Amino acid sequence: MKPADKQAYLEEYELLKKKGKPFFPYAVMKDSAMMLLVAAVIIAMSIVLGAEQGPKADPTSTTYVPRPEWYFFFLFELLRVIKPPELVPIATIGIPTICMVLLLLLPFYDRGPERNPIRRPIATTAGVMTIVAMAYLTFLGATGGSPTEIEMEVAPRYEAGKEIVAGAGCLACHKIGENGGTIGPELTHIAQLVPRAAIVRSVEIGPDIMPSYRDLPPKKLNELADFLSSLD
Amino acid sequence: MSDGADKQNGAEAAGRPERPQPKPPGYFEGESMTRRHAFTIAAQGLGGIAGAAIVLPAVGFAVAPIFHRGKERWEAVGPVGDFVEDTYRQVVFTETEGIGDAGKTTAYIRKSSKDLGEDPGQIVAVSNRCVHLGCPVRYVEAAGNFICPCHGGVYDFQGKRIGGPPVRPLDQFQTRIQGGQVEVGPRYSVTSQLEPVRARDPGEFTGGIWEYLYPPRPSTFPPPSS
Amino acid sequence: MKLDSLIPAPLRKPAKPGEGNGAKGAAPADLKTAPPERPTDTKKLADRAVEAPVDALAWVDQRTAASGFLTGMLFRKVPKGTNWFYTLGSATLFAFIVQAITGVFLAMFYTPSTTQAYASISHINNEVFLGAFVHGLHKWGSSVMVILIFLHMGRTFFFGAYKYPRELNWVIGVVLLILTMTMAFTGYLLPFDQRSFWASVVGININGTGPVVGPYLSDFLRAGPELGATTLSRFYAIHMLLVPGAIIALIGAHLYLVVKLGTTAPPWLKAKKPKAAAPVSQLNASANGSDK
Repeated sequence: MKPADKQAYLEEYELLKKKGKPFFPYAVMKDSAMMLLVAAVIIAMSIVLGAEQGPKADPTSTTYVPRPEWYFFFLFELLRVIKPPELVPIATIGIPTICMVLLLLLPFYDRGPERNPIRRPIATTAGVMTIVAMAYLTFLGATGGSPTEIEMEVAPRYEAGKEIVAGAGCLACHKIGENGGTIGPELTHIAQLVPRAAIVRSVEIGPDIMPSYRDLPPKKLNELADFLSSLD
Repeated sequence: MSDGADKQNGAEAAGRPERPQPKPPGYFEGESMTRRHAFTIAAQGLGGIAGAAIVLPAVGFAVAPIFHRGKERWEAVGPVGDFVEDTYRQVVFTETEGIGDAGKTTAYIRKSSKDLGEDPGQIVAVSNRCVHLGCPVRYVEAAGNFICPCHGGVYDFQGKRIGGPPVRPLDQFQTRIQGGQVEVGPRYSVTSQLEPVRARDPGEFTGGIWEYLYPPRPSTFPPPSS
Repeated sequence: MKLDSLIPAPLRKPAKPGEGNGAKGAAPADLKTAPPERPTDTKKLADRAVEAPVDALAWVDQRTAASGFLTGMLFRKVPKGTNWFYTLGSATLFAFIVQAITGVFLAMFYTPSTTQAYASISHINNEVFLGAFVHGLHKWGSSVMVILIFLHMGRTFFFGAYKYPRELNWVIGVVLLILTMTMAFTGYLLPFDQRSFWASVVGININGTGPVVGPYLSDFLRAGPELGATTLSRFYAIHMLLVPGAIIALIGAHLYLVVKLGTTAPPWLKAKKPKAAAPVSQLNASANGSDK
């Protein structure tokens, strides 16, 4: 921003301020009304949703599925989306730190005199994109099922195979019903697309980035294939 | 903000060389600048020493636990005959003393297996803590894998990573056999070749250059020699 | 207007803004004049009693000269066009105050000990009068505060309100955002149930993945290599004392700058310029000071 722009802004602001109303009681009235609304919302949430206590902390648990508070869902989901181990520090520390530094230094790299959001297309687009990305990740984090359980109803003879699929970590990448990731192809209707033999071959070979499950005992492989080829 | 406005000021000041030296703020008649200088240094120095005398011990007090290593602790978890080669048994033991249930942890224990190329007659104790970010992993008998419910990490029977974001194999605990009882000791981490190194927190790589990027912490025990 | 008849007379908009008694926005006359002398004649005790609060205020004002600052702050003009989006900041402040008050009272019953924390929360929820309600206020107040601080930041961003001369206030605001998230993180462990325990484990380990300093940072947070006896009291001290102190100090600085620099006008508003622009206040001293 050039000195002339600064001067122009200050003069403009002074004029707008002259036409304004005193802070008290006009602005304060709006502030108080908003405070009352906030108080009402918090009280209503406290009464309706309460402050229920979960089971006591148990570090020995092997079945508990940790979930963060909703406002950390976007970070939680980011960690789930970024799979390669080499990128873990980037997801945990790198991206949040870069975002915070960018946010902190915003006034020092965005120094144009324009303030109207419509005439700042880059800033406005970047802001909207950030909000959409965070909202999307929060939504995914809120609705995503556990990657170690399949909440799908199946016939009893497929239960064993379902257990193996859930336990083998397939859901880390594949989506089955409500559960699982989106890195690999969805398997909810896999039997419509691929015959049983091809499923078995894929599991044994591990195409592309998928790990091979060649060491799975034949009985388990059979049960797994039975379950997957029942999904249509 | 050092931009145009300030440069302009500087340029104007340089254009008028005859301008008298501005008196420093607070200057009074007859003030000696060396005396003022001495007082400035003394004021800052005395205050600084007083502040540091309080703040440094307090900060040291707060960071001391980083350099403190607790007592080595071994706990018997059952007779040798309880454990087999081809599957794990889950045991709960105390890792940190004095905090009740919160100090306990879970280990998956089996005998070492020749088929996997391990030294015979040893006991393997694998921690239930996922090395991605520390969620509890579960051993799934059906698949012979360890899986983590948080971000979908998958480990094989030995604890090596086969899928998902974990950065190294699962941690292990030192074990020994005393009087027919299996005893579990301090935690240690392993490299991708299952070589023992000092315990690392989840999310930290082991082996190679990573040993320097994620330095071993003084609060952990040396790994077992193997 | 029909609506006007429903609104009590004092809240109605004046028919012609600018006219009426006294300049708009000027302080009421009685607040500007010097405080009255104490009455020497004390015939009636009742008179004294009525005057007492005013006297007390005058006594304080004589010694602090606070009324000038307060009237200046309260009756300072807010630019034209200020709308409901501008209430988000004070709403965030209000949410913080809710957290501070409920937090103090929760602390009266809470025990920051690994073995007793869970039981003390059960006690608050089940036995203390209104315990569950106050606990609920604190728990949900945190969510509301996080939402409001993000909305407030969004308003500042889209209205370009972080630009000259308010850059420093933006920086303070971002630090306040980070501190608020720190509060959310450290407070989460305190109930010591499964959810809070594992969320804290993951959170501490996330700190640990920073190269070189990360491992030491997580050791510092846990006060040792594993979650131990003093981890909870450490989180409690950070949540109760360290971060709130910093937040209060920074809110003070934030509000000082808001009053000093003024709230922004909506960016789409343009003032109609008279031929000769009125001289600008002290603000331009930094931009144009040398010519005076």
